[in-house]
Amino acid sequence: MALNVKPTRSELINLKKRIKLSERGYKLLKMKRDGLILEFFKVLAEAKDLRNDLAIKYARAQEMIAIAETVEGSIGVKTAAFSASENPQIDLKSKNIMGVVVPKINPRSVKKTLTDRGYGVLGTSSAIDGAAEAFEDLVETVILSAELETTMKRLLDEIESTKRRVNALEFKVIPELIGARNFIKMRLDEMEREELFRMKRTKGRSEK
Amino acid sequence: MTEVMSGPAPYIYVSTRMRVRKAKLIQREEYLRMLNMGLPEFTRQIEEMEYKREIDELSASFSGVDLIENAMSWNLAKEYQRVIALAPGEMKGFTRDYLHKWDIQNILTILRGKVQGISDGKIRAVLVPAGELNAPALDHLLAESSAERIIETLPQKQLAAVLSAGLAEAIGAHSFGSLENELYKYYYATLIKAARGGMKGGLPFFKYVVFEIDIKNSINLFRIRAQGKPNANTSEIWIEGGSYHTDELERLCSVANLDEVIDTLKKKIKSPVLIDALESVREKKPIYSIEGMLIAAQLNQMDNVSKRNPFSISPLLVYLERKKYEVANLRALARGKEAGLAPAVLEKYLVM
Repeated sequence: MALNVKPTRSELINLKKRIKLSERGYKLLKMKRDGLILEFFKVLAEAKDLRNDLAIKYARAQEMIAIAETVEGSIGVKTAAFSASENPQIDLKSKNIMGVVVPKINPRSVKKTLTDRGYGVLGTSSAIDGAAEAFEDLVETVILSAELETTMKRLLDEIESTKRRVNALEFKVIPELIGARNFIKMRLDEMEREELFRMKRTKGRSEK
Repeated sequence: MTEVMSGPAPYIYVSTRMRVRKAKLIQREEYLRMLNMGLPEFTRQIEEMEYKREIDELSASFSGVDLIENAMSWNLAKEYQRVIALAPGEMKGFTRDYLHKWDIQNILTILRGKVQGISDGKIRAVLVPAGELNAPALDHLLAESSAERIIETLPQKQLAAVLSAGLAEAIGAHSFGSLENELYKYYYATLIKAARGGMKGGLPFFKYVVFEIDIKNSINLFRIRAQGKPNANTSEIWIEGGSYHTDELERLCSVANLDEVIDTLKKKIKSPVLIDALESVREKKPIYSIEGMLIAAQLNQMDNVSKRNPFSISPLLVYLERKKYEVANLRALARGKEAGLAPAVLEKYLVM
């Protein structure tokens, strides 16, 4: 351990203050890490459900488009698809989880009524409605899933960096500071002993 | 071909030919056999049927199930053109008017494709020239540079007027849905006008058109109810000229009690086939099942009318519709097998 500290009393006081601060920081960061992990597991449970939901809805959408192509043919499906030119919109906000800014996404104009979908009701069949509805459901779940997946990713990044900081404090910063403090203490004690010895020698000489 | 130009003979001749053609269409047992075939076996079967020529013609441009689907659509278009050519006098006019819905579908596809910047080749691939506008006429429309020019070039001026009236709004709203609905309403209004024009053979045709409007309106009523949004604005989707008033249909969308809806619908109709179909809707069924039952009721009713009026437009209409559903069923089998749908699932969507 390479220490570049002056073995002075003021440095010792300074180091003691830094150790106290580091230990407080370490405790806080540890609490933050634990809190983030708890939050992460909460989001993880939701995300797991949503991923299952997404897989189910994807399978359903695939089945419904296959049925639509079965009933209307690819020509009918393509013709209906030409009608939809409006992209689904989202409202993007943000929220704060223990200092981590995560997105809050609200799907808007994803689910539409039969008359708002863009294709004519009179020229299509219920198979097209079924496929459109299944894909609207899927898109909505994809948007909700994007929110949770991003939240998880950001929480994981933050947990990782907090963990690194906690480890750095626990295994590097605090031990080094303690080492420096001990070194200064030892040097100061030694200097005190030297001083005492020197004074005793001086006193002895003067008494002779 | 011997052509008989006067008296009831042309009707008898064409009606008989249509009945013979209808008898050649695939029967229920054959569909059930096809349901259990694998895709390669089914494809071989199709190639051995009357679709072979179209499959050979289009094999350079398409492959796989796309080839089967396009070949069948192409065969349907050619068959319809042959029926138009075969129909005598007033029957030809009725047939043209009836097949006009294919023109509407094709024109809308061209307009949508053009507005969305889709290439002419891709648009051409989804056109089915089964109406008055044949393939060269549709190519001519496709070659036009803008939607406005396409409408100006259209030979059917009344149709062009309906399109002109709604085009700006459709482009502005990025949706051709309303325009499509207006065009189909115009189509049915034209059919009613033609049938009530006092021409010979108009009455069975008129009765059939009213019946088809009732079926369409009933299906759309159940579609609206199936989406579970009773307050949606539906005023533009109802076709006038049927047994039900459009206000009544709109009201029925928000009626929670299904029995009340069915009782109200039943009051205005006389066809036992449709009454039976509506009765079976009382048990809650998915919308595709209701739609299938109502279409089956429509075809059965057409068969009945055709038997009662053997030398009228009815046998011809029955053949046109049955041929349409033969193509739809074969396409459904091909697409369904390609998608790996189980035969039991596929069977639900066949009109047999």
